[in-house]
Amino acid sequence: MVQKKETSEKLATLFSLKIGNISGQLEETGRVFFCADTMLMDEDEVADLSSEFVNLITGLLSAKEPAKRTIPQFHALEIFFSELAHRMLMRGGNVEDVVRYAQQLQYSLIAALERDSGVDFTQSRSVLLYFAQLFDELIMAIFRTYLGEREKTLKAQEMELRETSTPITEIWDGVLTLPIIGTLDSSRTMLVMEALLNRIAKDHARAVVMDLTGVRNIDSQVSHHLIQMVRAVQLMGADAIITGIHPEIARALVSLNIDLSGVTTRASLSDGLKEAFSRMGIQVSQKAG
Amino acid sequence: MMAISGMHLTRIGKGNFLLEPLRSMNIADQGRLMQEVVAQVRQGQGVRLYYDLNGLPVIDPVYYDWLNNLARICRIANIEMICINMEPTAAFTLSSFLSGKPEFATALAVPD
Repeated sequence: MVQKKETSEKLATLFSLKIGNISGQLEETGRVFFCADTMLMDEDEVADLSSEFVNLITGLLSAKEPAKRTIPQFHALEIFFSELAHRMLMRGGNVEDVVRYAQQLQYSLIAALERDSGVDFTQSRSVLLYFAQLFDELIMAIFRTYLGEREKTLKAQEMELRETSTPITEIWDGVLTLPIIGTLDSSRTMLVMEALLNRIAKDHARAVVMDLTGVRNIDSQVSHHLIQMVRAVQLMGADAIITGIHPEIARALVSLNIDLSGVTTRASLSDGLKEAFSRMGIQVSQKAG
Repeated sequence: MMAISGMHLTRIGKGNFLLEPLRSMNIADQGRLMQEVVAQVRQGQGVRLYYDLNGLPVIDPVYYDWLNNLARICRIANIEMICINMEPTAAFTLSSFLSGKPEFATALAVPD
């Protein structure tokens, strides 16, 4: 408590000094990290960044309780770093540069204050501790943004991969093909089923050929989902044909006692298409001559 | 069009009938409904009953039982029942609890 009071008083004294002039020194730090090799920002942007930081840190340090993490001034600073991290990541920068920039800001800020105030900060552990804690929190905000962005990117990539790995194509009027590649898990099967059923309704498809040539593994839950998918297709009034079942998958289906009596299977996608065409009364023949 | 409370039953030619259920249809009274449907279709010398499921987002076990029971009574009367226009969401929910083959056939729509 005593230490807090001391820190607050010392900070108030320190920040009653004009620190606007340290903006130029902070700009230099920004240029090193974002302009030199990485070219992530231009000089004007760095100048704006430094001046915004100075305004925010001045706001925080002149607050009544600068050590409190719930005050709006601290929150504004947190948002500043969070947005900076977001911006840099979007431009292809890496999180390490942003963290090092934040650390360098801390050192530059302390050095500038030390110089302007004439106080030797090595004698004032509480001020150093205050800045260390403050910047630790701000670096945490940078990491949170980084992890959030990374998670978003991963999810988007996963979604894209799922969509591209299950392309539903109308190969003929009323005939849909669905080659499934990779591992089938429950959530993917559900996604495929949803897309497939909507496509049947939209295109008035009469036959669906599901090709499992690219599927190597299947578990009990997924087998049930697969059968559920076939049933749902049939309920909508379309024919479902499964092709390319690997021996491992056939074995899994048999060992799981899954009733395949209502399911049409064919060895290959080509056989499946022939079956679909024949059911629809379509005959594909070689041109004479 | 024939009048049965809670549904429209229309003769669409070639021995085909189209049943369009209304929101007011009360399947709790299914005994009477089944009897009236079969009577009307037989009277019109129908052999096929198309049951339109358009706009029905979910088929729960109660509704599924109603469809199965109607299909059974139709079969006894030598009428084939075909459910058409099933919504993707309804197919999805129905397939999730379906254990065997339904009593009725399915088709995308009434054939041209």
